[in-house]
Amino acid sequence: MLSSIKAKIIIFYLMVLFLSLSVLGIFLYLGLGKIVHDSIDSSLLSRAKALAMLINEDNNETEFKFSDDVMWEYNSPKSKSFFQIRRPDGTAMEKSASLGDSELPFQTGKNQTSFETILLNNKPVRLINFHLHNLVIQCAEDIKDQTNLLKNYRIVLSLSILSIMIISASGGFIIARKALTPVKEISETIDRISESNLSERVTGKNIPSELKGLAASFNRTFDSLEKAFNRQKQFTADASHELRTPLSVILSQSEIALRKERAVEEYRNALAAVTEAAKMMSQIVQKLLTLARLSSDKVELNIEDINICKTIHEAVKLLNPLAEQKGISINISGNEQPVIRGDRAVLLELFTNLIDNAVKYNTPHGKIDISIRKEMDFIVTEIKDTGIGIHEGDLDKVFDRFYRVDKSRSRESGGIGLGLSICEEIVKLHGGRIEIKSKVGEGTNVTVYLKGIKDVT
Amino acid sequence: MRILIAEDEKSLADIVKKGLKEEGYTVDVAYNGEDGLFMAENEPSDIIILDIMLPVIDGMTILKKIRKAGIKTPVLMLTAKDTVMDKVSGLDSGADDYLTKPFFFEELLARIRALLRRNSGVKTSIIEIGDLIIDTASHEVIRGGRVISLSAKEYALLEYMAINRNKMLGRTTLTEHLYDQDFDLDSNVIDVFINRIRNKIDRGFDKKLIHTIRGAGYMLKG
Repeated sequence: MLSSIKAKIIIFYLMVLFLSLSVLGIFLYLGLGKIVHDSIDSSLLSRAKALAMLINEDNNETEFKFSDDVMWEYNSPKSKSFFQIRRPDGTAMEKSASLGDSELPFQTGKNQTSFETILLNNKPVRLINFHLHNLVIQCAEDIKDQTNLLKNYRIVLSLSILSIMIISASGGFIIARKALTPVKEISETIDRISESNLSERVTGKNIPSELKGLAASFNRTFDSLEKAFNRQKQFTADASHELRTPLSVILSQSEIALRKERAVEEYRNALAAVTEAAKMMSQIVQKLLTLARLSSDKVELNIEDINICKTIHEAVKLLNPLAEQKGISINISGNEQPVIRGDRAVLLELFTNLIDNAVKYNTPHGKIDISIRKEMDFIVTEIKDTGIGIHEGDLDKVFDRFYRVDKSRSRESGGIGLGLSICEEIVKLHGGRIEIKSKVGEGTNVTVYLKGIKDVT
Repeated sequence: MRILIAEDEKSLADIVKKGLKEEGYTVDVAYNGEDGLFMAENEPSDIIILDIMLPVIDGMTILKKIRKAGIKTPVLMLTAKDTVMDKVSGLDSGADDYLTKPFFFEELLARIRALLRRNSGVKTSIIEIGDLIIDTASHEVIRGGRVISLSAKEYALLEYMAINRNKMLGRTTLTEHLYDQDFDLDSNVIDVFINRIRNKIDRGFDKKLIHTIRGAGYMLKG
């Protein structure tokens, strides 16, 4: 609960609000307190001054000329005003009737007029010690009413702050909920998006501008997910399609062969056809496994220093018999001995695949030129054939899995449309890229850029 | 019965053709969509077995085109695509049945028989004409309780006439439905086969089932 954005927003907001209201309350309270005390103090001072004017001091003779007129407010025992006149040494000289038996407290040694708040008979009292030449006039006033006023004011302030906090909390909750509704909607949409409806997107007019970026990046993520997923689906469909046809051949051949007694020759033919189809299937499965292995994250490679030149010579050696059959000459140029970090078996497969294509789709007595050179960080291998070429419209699809430029032609030569996909994966694995250019009737030019695998230490 | 197979995988088309021929069907094969469409439009087939993924013109397009041209020949879609949507769009485009690869040859045969029956209004695999009983599944022919043995071609001719019973069938029609496109149509071979069947099913019975319509052709009638 506390981890939710809503709770965090509300808690933070309430803390800020409480802090500002408290500061405001304290100021208001202190301000009022000062006004109240100042007014009491000034009234006490003027009283003390008024009393002072009524005192005649001559030759150490002190005469108090307190008329009833002045004294009426000090005389009643219930009066809230008190006075006491002392010598600076504390000797009491005169006090008001309102004090009864009590005395106003006095501390000797101070020669300046001072104010203090004391407790007189358990009642809060404000006191002034007003110094004359050799007299101290103490005037005091019961400030219970003022203290109560301030106390009430404090309570009212606290209650106000509390209710503002409660109202704000509920308001904040509603606002936070409203503000977070689009987020909830987005998350619900995302929850809904699953394997079966990957095409759904986060849309709607309700999305506030602050969240549009989030929605857009979610949509982008889902776009690429959907693309990857569809590619995978297409690949699975294609793979199963490719396997279904030879499987149909195997089934039909054997079923039909078994329908009746036949001559040995017929059985032999049927078995040969079954073998052919099974070979085709095993080839497809083999290539599919290679492809799956290469494109998985956990591909296990045996990384070592590879001399590309040497690897290409090995690949050519493997394919020479096939090339000789078609009268094709293979020529390798390039004096450098470039070395990269890579997997020997995988790189050999790459070049075997590419040169095999160059042989397969070449014209009889054609030529294959292989050149190796260094270019910046890359080792560039160019394989040029004088073959039938590829139409421009097909060029960008040749790396698609199971894509065959010409179905009937490739079937005869045994292609299944995975070779170039495998090559692409191998090149990617070795931090490079592969490019293909072609002109129908003139030949195809495949260029491989290899950087090598970075060692992880 | 004449069947057109449009399938680009040569090894599959050839073995199915062989199997069907052994069942007494006449089979034409097209290895691409263009030939398939041409043959569907120009050869008198009783059933078309159509692969969807064909080079040049795909099966779905062929199907739509021949249906638009008013050709009502039953079409059995044969394909490696097996999603429900593929089946639905195939059937909606005018296919009569659907078989996914890999398929069992026996199932293909049963579906072909079912399609032929559906087209002729016969509900089961057994056709009865008077006391003549033809089991199209086992190719067994019985008349008056006696099993009659027929060669594949004889059986095919008899079955075709039985499915189209009470209809006058010209020699050309019969030849077209019993021989593939490579066969030279100028031939009395049908008369020879009719005579052989007559000898086997009508001889010794008072009621003759095979009737000759002078100058026009033949009819099987109970």
